[in-house]
Formats: sequence, C-alpha cells, structure tokens
Amino acid sequence: MSAPNCLRCLLQLRPSVALPRHLLVARSTAAIAIAWTAPFSTTTANNAKTGGGGSKDKTGGHIRAGKKIKLGKFKKNTTADRGKAPAPGERKAFRKKILLSNNNALPVPGLVDLTPEHMLDPQNAATVLSIPDAVVDQLRAVEAFKPTQCWGVFRKPSMLLRTETIDLMNRMKGAAKQKQTLRLVVTGDRITGKSMLLLQAMTHAFLNDWIVVNIPEGQELTTASTEYAAIPGSDPVRYMQQTYVLKLIQAIRKANEKVLSKLSTVQSHPELPQHIPVGSPLMQLANSAKEADNAWMIFQALWQELTARGRPPMLFALDGLSHIMKVSDYRSPAFELIHAHDLALVRLFVESLGGAGAFPNGGAVLAATSRGNSPRAPSMELALQQREAEQAKAADVPQPDPFFRGYDERVQAALRTVQVLKLSGISKLEARVLMEYWAASGILRTTVDESAVSEKWTLGGNGVVGEMERAALLTMRL
Amino acid sequence: MAALRQNLTGALRGSCPGARLQWQTLDQQFHALRLGGSSSSSSITAAAAKASTSTSTSRCMSTDAQNDSNSNTSGSQTEFRSIIASPENTLRIATHARPVPLSPSYFSRQPVFNDSYLTLQKLMRSYGNLPVIPAGQVERVAWNTLEDTRQTLGEHVKASDYAKCIELVKRLHAIHPTLKPEAVTAALQAFKRNVQPFSNVPNPIVVDKFGRALGVGRRKASVARAWVVEGTGEVQVNGKNLADAFGRVHDRESAVWPLRATARVDKYNVWALVEGGGTTGQAEALTLAIAKALMAHEPALKPALRRAGCVTRDPRRVERKKHGRVKARKMPTWVKR
Repeated sequence: MSAPNCLRCLLQLRPSVALPRHLLVARSTAAIAIAWTAPFSTTTANNAKTGGGGSKDKTGGHIRAGKKIKLGKFKKNTTADRGKAPAPGERKAFRKKILLSNNNALPVPGLVDLTPEHMLDPQNAATVLSIPDAVVDQLRAVEAFKPTQCWGVFRKPSMLLRTETIDLMNRMKGAAKQKQTLRLVVTGDRITGKSMLLLQAMTHAFLNDWIVVNIPEGQELTTASTEYAAIPGSDPVRYMQQTYVLKLIQAIRKANEKVLSKLSTVQSHPELPQHIPVGSPLMQLANSAKEADNAWMIFQALWQELTARGRPPMLFALDGLSHIMKVSDYRSPAFELIHAHDLALVRLFVESLGGAGAFPNGGAVLAATSRGNSPRAPSMELALQQREAEQAKAADVPQPDPFFRGYDERVQAALRTVQVLKLSGISKLEARVLMEYWAASGILRTTVDESAVSEKWTLGGNGVVGEMERAALLTMRL
Repeated sequence: MAALRQNLTGALRGSCPGARLQWQTLDQQFHALRLGGSSSSSSITAAAAKASTSTSTSRCMSTDAQNDSNSNTSGSQTEFRSIIASPENTLRIATHARPVPLSPSYFSRQPVFNDSYLTLQKLMRSYGNLPVIPAGQVERVAWNTLEDTRQTLGEHVKASDYAKCIELVKRLHAIHPTLKPEAVTAALQAFKRNVQPFSNVPNPIVVDKFGRALGVGRRKASVARAWVVEGTGEVQVNGKNLADAFGRVHDRESAVWPLRATARVDKYNVWALVEGGGTTGQAEALTLAIAKALMAHEPALKPALRRAGCVTRDPRRVERKKHGRVKARKMPTWVKR
C-alpha cells in the first residue's frame, strides 16, 4: 500500500496546514519561498495546471488519486483543430483547375510561336512549338485544355507536332479548301494524345480563323447532370439542354470573337424574342443569349447563321465519344431512358459526324474517344474497328458477334462513313525532341542521349506520350 | 492328399519342409564360406517350390526361373543332373580341414565397410601408378557422407577410417578417365551418392534460327517466358505494351531491368508471356526471364547481370499460415474473457 501523499513533498520544508499562522511568521522567508516553489514545471502551461491554476488540486497536485481504469487509452484525440474546411465546390475547383504556366520552369531558348504554316509543313514534324497567347485564351474559352495534361510544369504552353498532327492538319486544310467536311474519329490507347490532337486541331482552326465549336466532355451531356426539357412540337420528341447550351453559346462567343465580329446575320429570325434584323452583327445574336430559357432557340439561329453560305470553315469537336453513343441517363416523362441521340445538341453533333448535316463552307467534325472514363459502347467500338480495317484495306473486316444483343443500330448508322485516326506511341525522334524540351525546361535532369531516350521510350510502353511523362516527369527522383 | 496340400502351401510361402531346410541351410553356409557369393548361391525358393510340389527328395539348387513353366518331376530331376554335370556349377571340395573365409573381415563386426575399404586398397596397389588428371578437371561427384554410410550399412564406421577411405576414393577417381579400369569405376560406384547434384546441369539456352532466345523466370507465384531478339527496344507483355501490362512505373523498370542495367534497352526486343501471381511477382519473374535470355545472346554479360541482381532466383514465397495464429505470425487479439 503506497502512501496517499507524495513522500518527496513531505521531505521538503513546507508549512503544514495544521500549523497556526503565528508560527509561520517565525520561519525564515527563504524557507517559505522554497516550499511554495516545489511543484515546479518547466512550461507555463504545466505550471498553471499543477501549481498556478489550482482548480482541483488545492494541495498542489501531489496527493495521489486511487487507480482509475482509463478507457479508450489509445484513442486518438479527435478534437484536433483541422483548420477551416474548404467551402462547397472549392475542392472540385481545385481539382479541375487548369494551370498553363509555371514561372519556376526555365524559359526554353529558341522556342517559336506557332504560325498557320507551321502545322502544315511536314518538315516541322517532331518539333516543339509554343501556342501564341491569343490562341491560348481562345483554347481556354472552349475548354480545350484538360486538367490531366501537365501544362502547369512548363513556362509556356507548347506542344509537340507529331507526324499524325501534320497529317490531320493537312487533311483539314484540304477539306476546307474543297468546301467539304472532314469527319474523323481519333482513337487510340490510353494517354496516347487523343485530346491533345483535338487541341492541336483547334489551334490550327483558330490560327486559320475558323469557327470553333467544342464540346469538351461528351459526358456532361448524357449523365443527367444538366437540365433538360422536351422541345415543344417535336415529333419524335427531342430534348434540349438549355443551361448547357447557354454555356456553349458563351464559349463560342468568347472564343470566336475575332471572327464573329466581322460577320453579320443574313437571315431573319422571327421566332426569337429579341428582334434581330438582317445585317446586324453576329455578336449581337450571340449576346442575346442571357438566360437559359431561350438559349436553345438562339443556338439554333446562331447555328443557321454560322452554316450559311459564305461563312468561314467550321470545326465542331467533341471529346469522350462513347458517352454520346449510348442510352443516356435522362428519362422521358414516361420514365423511359432517353437515347443520347434524342438529345438535340448531341443529335446535332452526331448528324454532323455522320454526314447528314454537312457544312456548306467546309470544315471538320472531330471526335475523340476516351480510355480513362468511358462506358462500354460495343457498337461504337465495332464500328471504329470496321472503319479502321476498311481504311487499311484489310482482308477481314471485324464482324458483329451474332450472339450479342447489346449492339445499337443508331450508333452503327452514325459511324458508317467516318474516318478513323488511330494514335499510338511516338517515334524515337519525336521522343527525343520532347525530352530535350523537358530538359531545357529544367524538369528532366538527365542528359538526353540515345540511351536515355530509348529507356524512357520503352518504359513508356513503346512511346506512349502520357506514360513517358509519367515515367520521366511525374515520378521524379531528385 | 493332405500332405500334398501342406507342401503346396509351404511352397507358396517360399519355405521348405523342416528336414530339408536344415541341410539346405548348412549347404548355404558352406557356399558362403567357400564361394563367397558366386553364381550358384542361394536363390532357392523357385527350385524349392518345384521340388515340394512333386514331393521328391531332390536337392534344391538354384535354377533358372524360365524353366519352371512346364516342369514335372522327371523334368526337374534331369535339370538337376545337368546342373551337377555342368563344369561352372560344380561344387568345390574343401582342401583344408578348417574352412578359411574368403573375406578377411569375416570375423569383424563391420564386414561390409571393411571389405570395401580393403578392395579400394587393393585397387590402389594395382592402379596407383596410372596417370591422374589435374584436380580442377576431375568430374565433380558427390560422395556418400559418413552419416549416409552408417545409415545404409548399419555399421558403426569410424570417422577416421571413413576419411581415409574417401581419400582413397578421391585418389582413384582422379585417374585419367581414358585409362581408368572397369574395376575402379565399379568400386567407386558404391561410394557415389544416389542423387548427384553436380550432374543436374540446366540445359543451355540457345539462340534459335530466327534469332530468338527463350528465357524462363519465376518469382513468387508468377512464371514468365521471354523471347528476346535483337531489335530496337520494343517490349510486349501478354500482347500488351509495357505500360498497359504494368501500371506502376516501378514494375516496368524492374521488368526491363536486365536490359537497363547492361545498357541494352535499345538493342533488343522482348516478347513475353507472364502468368500467375500479382504485378510485382510478374514483373520480377520477367526480370529473371529476360536476363536468362539475354545471357544466351551475350554470355559475357553474366557478371554484370549478377551484380545487377538479375541472375539468382528469389526463393521467397508467402509464409504459410499456422494454426493458432491469424496469419503466419500474427497472434489473435487479446481478449480479457
């Protein structure tokens, strides 16, 4: 049995409680001082708790309490201050933030801005060129940059011109010259640069004063995340997505301001609430979309104006094709799922891609598949494989599985005549140019020689650009 | 009839009636003394069976098993006579009053080992002058250990004797193989271990007519086969590129590590099949497979690959779970009651 009082304290000189006051006076002041500084602690907080605070321990905290069972001994202190929680939407905004420059990266000497001719010359294959600032703003307006692309580690947005890029740009140029529409789907493995090729096509279009309409994610249209309503009087029923369309009109207006400001309307649009006479600037028409209510009508009017004869060529692009090649998540009033092709905006794109709504002024309809986030669309996959085999004039074109019921006739029809551009890894020369650019930016800290290039090329799955980036930049061992 | 049945049963059991057994045992002893395990000794059961079925009193000698298919009494007797008449089977007649054992270790408690030791000594006296080959070139043989010998012979062999014996064995083994007599080879055979680890040599990997070398590697539960050809650094694993096959950059690096460590990434193409196990195991199985195939192309790379840790198979596996434990080592949670 241990003593209830602390023996160390008893040893010290200390005025007993029982001692009368007058006896205390006889003692020396020094002894009293020693006695009262006994419960000593190095920190002020502990001092306050033991001696200074004196809330429960009137005796100086040196009377032992009996043994108590302490439950939850190993529980962490859950009341730790975590700071302010981020506001709603702040996390997502941070996740989706697009950072296009980094002042810590070194400026690359000899980096030239793109000009319209650059992207057409086969001599420029395997070169890195930077995007002019004006075009960067336009691309940002149409949301061509993706948060997954690592622009944020370089000084200035620049891109590698691949042989496929030059090839596609020349095809676009040729189609526009002959007032035809290039209808093409970009496919390929994961992170082989499909979205990047779309961005390059848009850059080319902006540089050549085309009109660019871009749907950055097909997903946004079909996952029931924006408002929709049946279009009155349509039979069969089509659905409009006014909020999204309003956003799209604003993006078109902002990105194509340079072109639209020179154009004026050639048709009257009596159905619009706001009177826009023939000959008024197109910007006025685009600006009239202020609210979601009549956005779809204004978009239709704008589309008619843009596809009228004598307009500049147009690029209509969409990323994430498989999302619009399936039954959407929207429901009809009868609570039946709506096919994505019954959504009016999607339908517009699909018809353009399928060749039903050709652009009279020429241009291109480009779509890119996605491998990261894409639902399975068996018909689309089959159709693209078939088109690819037909283009390559292969002996055996893939045939549909006779025992599979998930094929979609509408998707097959939409993709019956498209061209397919399949992307795979880049060549060693292109890899070398790219790595030299990384090294010049101060991000890759190795000597770029043949062995380093071939090593990263192999590690990146035979030159898959995104995988090379991961192997070289994102898993840096500094 | 009853006697016949009894005899038949005895024959099937491989035994003989009592009286005959007695003098046959004596006969056997005589053989052991005089002939020392010559060809006419002691396999008596077949002949005994034949003799007992016919209830004859003929003497049982060993005979060929082939002859007993259609034997009757008269047949066996004629055979017996022919055996007696044949010169090689004639019994030797004792020349001494007291039989002298052939084996010098007859009166020893450890006859077998002693016999073999004496045989070796005799061989050494006979063939000790034959030329030997240098120690480095002698074929490596795993000899029986002392414990093995004690176990198999059932004799307590002294360690010092055994050491001397093995020394003799090694000396005899070093005789030049082209000059080594049959007797030496036969005598040494008894000292060889049943399983020879040194003869277990892996088949050398060859580069085939298409320039491919096939290496097989294992790690944990994974098995990898890698065909390595000269090329430009393309890698395909199970029909996918390296990035698709391995999501982790670390795994990709370990898969092509033999090529990286020897700066051969852009000199060879790899086409591999991997199965079993997880991603790490598959990647490291590939390391071994590619390294082996690479050594077929360039054998001089073996030291470099060994330094890079690509030659030795990692034998570690998942440790088995034990009863009374939650996993291999983890103990169950302490519960108060």
